[in-house]
Amino acid sequence: MSRRFFVFDARHHPNRCGAANKALWLMLLVFYLCAPSQIPGDDSYARTISGVQPKMVKIYGAGGIRGLEAYQSGLMISRSGHVLTVWSYVLDTEDVVVVLNDGRKFQSQLIGADPRLGIAILKIESTETPYFIRQTSKEPEAGDRILAFSNLYGVATGNEPASVLHGTISARTQLAARRGAFNTTYKGPVFILDAMTNNPGAAGGALTDRQGNLVGLLGKELRNSENEIWLNYAIPMSVLVDSIDDLIAGRTPSQAANTDRKKPGQALSPTLLGFVLIPDVLDKTPAFVDSVRNGSVAARMKLQPDDLILFANDRIASTCKQLVEELSFIDRIDPVTLTIQRGQDLVDITLQLP
Amino acid sequence: MTVFRMLSCLLYGSVPLNRVAFRFLTAFAVSLTALTGWTARTFGEDDLLALEAQVMKAAVTRAAPSVLRIETFGSQQRAGTPLTNSRITSGVVVSEDGHILSSAFQFAGKPSSILVTLPTGKRESAQIVARDQSRMLVMLKVATAEKLTVLEVVPRAEMRVGQWTLAVGKTFDKDRPNRSVGILSAVNRIWGKAIQTDAKISPANYGGPLIDIEGRALGILVPMSPQQQNEIAGAEWYDSGIGFAVPLADMMPYLEQLKRGEDLKPGILGISLKSGDIYSLPAEIAAVQPKSPAYKVALQVGDVIVDVDKQPVSRQVQLRHALGRRYAGDDVSLTVKRGEQQVTVSLKLVDHLDPYAHPFLGLLPARPRNSNDLGIKIRFVYPNSPAAKIGLNSGDRILAIADKKARVPSDIYSILGSFEPGSEFSLNVVKSGTPENISLIPAALPTQIPDKLPLIPPPEASAEALPPTGLIPVKLPEEPNECVALIPESYKTGILHGLVVWLHPSGQFDQTRLVERWKRRCQQRHLILLMPQAAKQKRWVPTEIDYVRKAIDEIRKAYRIDNTRIVVHGHQAGGVLAYMLAFSQRDLIRGVATVDAEIPRRLKIPANDPIQRLAIYAASDSKSPRAARATSALQRLRDLQYPVTTRQSNGYLSEVQIDELVRWIDTLDRF
Repeated sequence: MSRRFFVFDARHHPNRCGAANKALWLMLLVFYLCAPSQIPGDDSYARTISGVQPKMVKIYGAGGIRGLEAYQSGLMISRSGHVLTVWSYVLDTEDVVVVLNDGRKFQSQLIGADPRLGIAILKIESTETPYFIRQTSKEPEAGDRILAFSNLYGVATGNEPASVLHGTISARTQLAARRGAFNTTYKGPVFILDAMTNNPGAAGGALTDRQGNLVGLLGKELRNSENEIWLNYAIPMSVLVDSIDDLIAGRTPSQAANTDRKKPGQALSPTLLGFVLIPDVLDKTPAFVDSVRNGSVAARMKLQPDDLILFANDRIASTCKQLVEELSFIDRIDPVTLTIQRGQDLVDITLQLP
Repeated sequence: MTVFRMLSCLLYGSVPLNRVAFRFLTAFAVSLTALTGWTARTFGEDDLLALEAQVMKAAVTRAAPSVLRIETFGSQQRAGTPLTNSRITSGVVVSEDGHILSSAFQFAGKPSSILVTLPTGKRESAQIVARDQSRMLVMLKVATAEKLTVLEVVPRAEMRVGQWTLAVGKTFDKDRPNRSVGILSAVNRIWGKAIQTDAKISPANYGGPLIDIEGRALGILVPMSPQQQNEIAGAEWYDSGIGFAVPLADMMPYLEQLKRGEDLKPGILGISLKSGDIYSLPAEIAAVQPKSPAYKVALQVGDVIVDVDKQPVSRQVQLRHALGRRYAGDDVSLTVKRGEQQVTVSLKLVDHLDPYAHPFLGLLPARPRNSNDLGIKIRFVYPNSPAAKIGLNSGDRILAIADKKARVPSDIYSILGSFEPGSEFSLNVVKSGTPENISLIPAALPTQIPDKLPLIPPPEASAEALPPTGLIPVKLPEEPNECVALIPESYKTGILHGLVVWLHPSGQFDQTRLVERWKRRCQQRHLILLMPQAAKQKRWVPTEIDYVRKAIDEIRKAYRIDNTRIVVHGHQAGGVLAYMLAFSQRDLIRGVATVDAEIPRRLKIPANDPIQRLAIYAASDSKSPRAARATSALQRLRDLQYPVTTRQSNGYLSEVQIDELVRWIDTLDRF
């Protein structure tokens, strides 16, 4: 692996590490002299990769026009030929072909899909194919090394193994944490990766830890709709296992994983709380308070004209549109905390209707 | 195995990791990795990789309290890139009382409100205190009673290409940092201003730190570009494996200045170097701009800079590296070779020079030049010019200016580069056959075009083998563009030809008519007309600047071109490209002539240069919607002391105006 060339140059460190280091070097020397002479073992990544590759599949289906690729990735998820992949237009045909790592080709059958999570289960008539064990093994955290297996750009064909990228988990975050930033039905937790997995055909690929345990499913191509930055991400297996089990068993997946917030029947609004925003004329009119109605909740809590509202319950609400939208998610019986910029001061006020 | 467990305990355990333990652990990991062959047998590679990951996590954890999440509100939208539309960025604590250094990237839109999330989770508002206009950083101050944690800084001497680097930001989560792993790819990039990493750098971590495996700060992550200098330049390389950070070690001496609210600006010396290949030529001074720091310490034309602050300099590019990282206000010591002597001077760099204006005597040199000529023979004297006032006439000769000998016209441009209009100097001339020494006060370059300008007779016919004349195709390998050149039938190698590069407007244009229009004029005024075309749909794209440059270089290889008369001439969109070429290819282009074209607002207009001259001819169509905008841009050019000649046209130029334009091109070797 190339990564070995990237390591620190050990020669430069003893100077900086003083006495402790000298002791360490001595210790290492002793270890080295005592160690039995053997041929070094296999490289750990190579071992992991050769174990994972037979579980990966290439999926070919609908598409091939207007920049929509007619292929994606998938992985074997059961002894009896179940394939996990993403729910996408590629599956919008009767004729979805699954190509195994060894090059064998199978017509597949769509067993079920969970559009909320954006996943689908296919089935092929093959029983000897290695598969990933659906376990909720120790979930990786930010900073852990990962491997990403997929058929990105359709590079691999026939019996060529899937492409492998290596990288690190940059962060674990919620796609829904930034409303409007990501245009996707799935809003739940994701691993952000520093490997470039966001490429055509990669969706449905496997994210594994260094031991080759399946820890996530590479997501569909996604860019932040604010700044158009491509996002490299995977959905954690811990979020998907229940739904996968349900789909394989022929049940309708439960709604537990749905992290979408629902609008309440009777929601808050600026009018109910007793203030008026400045006229919303621009695309992004800042949420400045224009006036406060005497005797209202807002007046009692001393909201003032010219206050600039930035957050509602810690969610961004700095334009008139965003604020009205955020309030529409809060039930009128619940309190709302507005974070306000007043001059250079930042003020939190909590409003609750009587 | 016990040692490994003990170390793991150190990492995982409740005992806080102190400095010594941390170093010990790092050194251990490092030593282990270096001896992988051995360790693979003893611990197993998995253990080693796990340990490595633990060390990296510990480094990020150590740095995390000094990486702050910054939210900006009410940024003005900027045209061109949506990259800055995100609202969240990162910054690095540089003082316990609330100073934060960040990339200027997220602040390009001048946000009306900036909030910083402190390590306790509390949001506070922050202000921009100062900006670094060279390295594109901002210094923020957040008012807080919390004592913030400052990162330890890695000294330059300890940075090693190949070492692990971690790029850290706080954009995905307010409590937990996001990180990307890579190595240090280079330590001196973009004129010494940045270090480079292959970790994934993007708006997700701009403004955050690049740290080493011990959690110490190497630099502040920024987008940066070798070609352009603005807040967002280089952002198009996000996540590409080419990422930059401004070394914090370089910034330490300037932190106090930034905290005081003083902006940092690039440092200027006030010299021009001899034009040519910066990677091979020595740093020979071609001009010293009056009133500049270089002028005040009496640096001279012909001095060769051999040392900057005791760092040897043998080529121009090294000088650029040495000065590129310096700020205005910095003291610099320079050693120059002057003849056999070595002279050392100390000077203070400045943030700007007053715009330079070229001095003008009122003369055109004779063409073609006879190599046996003594001094510079005069072809034409401008009426009412300083030269006319001291009684010079065509046929007289200039031998020296300010006691410096002038053998070829380029000597004159070089000598005059150290003078400005109004500064008196002496002239050694041969006037009506008699040598004389006369004093003269130069004027500014004229914007008027002489009504009458004598034609230069074609050279006598000779039996030499000539390159092809007439309409010839110019095809560059690997370029899709079409291009033809019109070479006058009278072309002779004995006479230098001017070059007019015609840049067509969008859409179709009539090449036959264009050739008809220029054929006679090219013959009369010794001009070659080069007609490159846009590659696609007859529409120019900015990247085609490179193509046009290559086409010009190609024609210069095959024909003898007068380097003082290379002009880009464009109509409408072609004119816009002409401005882009003129401002970016200063070493080549001496004139830009446009018709009904505006100067793009985002195009950076460079300062007037004493040696790399540029004259501007702009005809505006008063009926065009572009006219008003073009006028204000031209005023900017005048303020920068460029000679700007303006005309009104009705559509493209009239026949009379084209004749005048050709005369203007014929006078660009004026002095």
